[in-house]
Amino acid sequence: MSEQRETGSERVVLDVDNLRIHYATPQGDVIAVSDISFELYEGETLGLVGESGCGKSTTAYGILQLVQPPGYIVHGSIEVDGTEVLNLTEEELRKFRWTGLSLIPQGAMNSLNPTMRVKAQIVDVIESHEGKANYESFRERLSVFLRKIRRPRRGEPLKKYLGEWLRNLTLLLRYEPLKERIFDLFQAVGLPNRIYNMYPHELSGGMKQRVCIAMGVALHPTVVIADEATSALDVVVQRIVAQTLVEVKDEIGVSLIVIGHDMGLLAQIVDRIAVMYAGKIVEIAPVENVYANPLHPYTQLLIDSIPSIKERKPLKITEGITHDPRNPPSGCIFRLRCPFAWEHCALEEPPQINVEAKHEVACHLFDEQFEERRSNAFAAIANS
Amino acid sequence: MGGLSLNYIMRRLLVFFLTLWVAATLIFIIPRLAPGDPITAMVARMSQQAGFVENADLIIEGWKERFGLNDPVYVQYLRYMGNLLRFDLGLAMARFPSPVSQLVSRALPWTIGLVGIATLIFFTVGNLFGALLAWTKTPKLVKVLIPMSMIFTSIPPLLAGLLLVYIFGFLLDIFPQAYAYHHSFRQPEFTLKFIGSVLHHGFLPAMAIVLVTFGYWALGMRGMMVTIEGEDYMILAQAKGLKPFYVLYRYMIRNAILPQMTALAVSIGTLVGGSVLVEVIFNYNGMGTLIFTAIREQDFNLIQGTSFILIVTSALAVLIIDLSYPLIDPRISLEGK
Ligand SMILES: Nc1ncnc2c1ncn2[C@@H]1O[C@H](COP(=O)(O)OP(=O)(O)O)[C@@H](O)[C@H]1O
Ligand code: SF4
Ligand SMILES: [Mg+2]
Repeated sequence: MSEQRETGSERVVLDVDNLRIHYATPQGDVIAVSDISFELYEGETLGLVGESGCGKSTTAYGILQLVQPPGYIVHGSIEVDGTEVLNLTEEELRKFRWTGLSLIPQGAMNSLNPTMRVKAQIVDVIESHEGKANYESFRERLSVFLRKIRRPRRGEPLKKYLGEWLRNLTLLLRYEPLKERIFDLFQAVGLPNRIYNMYPHELSGGMKQRVCIAMGVALHPTVVIADEATSALDVVVQRIVAQTLVEVKDEIGVSLIVIGHDMGLLAQIVDRIAVMYAGKIVEIAPVENVYANPLHPYTQLLIDSIPSIKERKPLKITEGITHDPRNPPSGCIFRLRCPFAWEHCALEEPPQINVEAKHEVACHLFDEQFEERRSNAFAAIANS
Repeated sequence: MGGLSLNYIMRRLLVFFLTLWVAATLIFIIPRLAPGDPITAMVARMSQQAGFVENADLIIEGWKERFGLNDPVYVQYLRYMGNLLRFDLGLAMARFPSPVSQLVSRALPWTIGLVGIATLIFFTVGNLFGALLAWTKTPKLVKVLIPMSMIFTSIPPLLAGLLLVYIFGFLLDIFPQAYAYHHSFRQPEFTLKFIGSVLHHGFLPAMAIVLVTFGYWALGMRGMMVTIEGEDYMILAQAKGLKPFYVLYRYMIRNAILPQMTALAVSIGTLVGGSVLVEVIFNYNGMGTLIFTAIREQDFNLIQGTSFILIVTSALAVLIIDLSYPLIDPRISLEGK
């Protein structure tokens, strides 16, 4: 697996507690996020994985207060740097957005306003939170302009002279105080300066995604949430963009939640991983532990199904969540697909069990009283 | 980059001239499909009124010769096209010997003014109301009031016109019932008093067009806004914590207005058709009334001329909208490359 990554400090910047989100449908509420709790530490990158439909995006949108109707937050608490997000008034929330929590969206292809230039979409978020950039008055710029104009030198090419003239004139008429700052952002995410004046449709998918990353970190928010930020890109670009994401995050010093379903890709970039199944976090642990020693039966299935180029193996995981999300099974959420399930799993919901430092798992097998059952079960698997 | 490409301009111009040619040809053909001919019809009417017209046959022959109706059809067609190119629309037989072009040039500005201003109003009001209907932050009261203002939608402009004349012109008597300006002015002049009179007279006809039309635009706009609200970039706009009003106009209206512009270009023909009737009701000094007169008097030259000019004007309006489209939608000129 990846080398030991620095896990940052122990200060909690995001504390999600008992968050529950439903989607109201005519046939009853879909339980998309079911009482989840987790923490994010300063400077850390946390991965959130799970099959599609398990509630990753809904969790992200819940944290960001962006759950779209018919979805709604049933209960829970979301604290960012000690601020309870759910208690903010509308205007407070607006100001808190992007400075406290920012989003790198799932569909970068369509996440930029098609009728606005790239620069304008970055400028608007900066200006709506920091106020109008400090524009020099026209008179000041005029005096600079007048100082700069001169006669052509003897033998100077006309093109060069006119070019300089035009540049000065542009500075006079279209003064863009945020330009340098935006260029810095472009550089951080590996975008060429020439896209500054372009429209989204003139960019490639990878470029749009980078614009979204640049935009996401423009205000140095406390927490950045990247929702499948790379899923729509082709495999090679995916890796490069993911790498960019981590570099920018380290450079700017934000805390990051990366949502994805590609365990292999996530392993490269995250410090800790939270595994979600049907609206619940079933296991959360430092990335090395999850790959070397997956505990929850679902995590084991996921890790087992990472394709390997060295050997061909039959796929153990079957497709999708089997139960109706409006009507989850009693006890353990995973018991309908779990190879180890026994009667007790239907009776009681497994609590989060702290197995080792920072490694929690929600499965009865790790309850001390069922230790024997666990050894037998895992031994049987190892033998098969 | 956004903006006009030469290719795009050329294609639109081609469509424009093609429209004019087809229209001119149809206008040439249609009257000739009808039985009888205008001269005979006119002389017959004269003899009806006077009881008897001396040398009727000679008159008919002479006029036919004068208007070239005895030449082979293709010669007539070529001469007709040649005249059109020089904007020579012939003489109005009903108001002999006024040239059609003179009558048209007197009437056209009034129609352009009336329809232009009405369009400006219903397009602005309609889209604004539609946007407010869809916007989640619109006050409840506004959302209740707007649909009530749309009761006139879908009744014919003709009826709306009659209703307005009856209520405001006849019962309340606060707006004039007819003409484009007060009869004390012998001809248009450039004074405040005259302009005031024009606005006073133009109010009801413009309202007749606006009232029946803006509801459609409001409903269309609301539909577009709802679609836009589901776009990915709207979620990002919300996440960015932009000011609500800024999001409304820069993210929502700005994108929703694009298909509305296309729809406007498409609807101009219908619009002009409807305004013809409104003009007739108000006896407005525009093209509508002129066409109406032409039809009543069976003046073929005048019918042809006025129809042609209305089509040219409409096509020109469409061309202007088409050409301004790439300026407001940066994606469109790509297609022209
Ligand atoms: N608008 C909606 N109406 C009803 N159910 C929804 C809606 N959006 C999402 N869901 C349900 O919520 C669950 C979680 O969805 P989502 O958060 O998008 O999952 P993920 O991002 O992990 O793929 C899914 O079961 C999905 O069917
Ligand atoms: S609690 Fe039971 S059903 Fe759930 S994962 Fe553990 S063994 Fe499987
Ligand atoms: Mg998702």
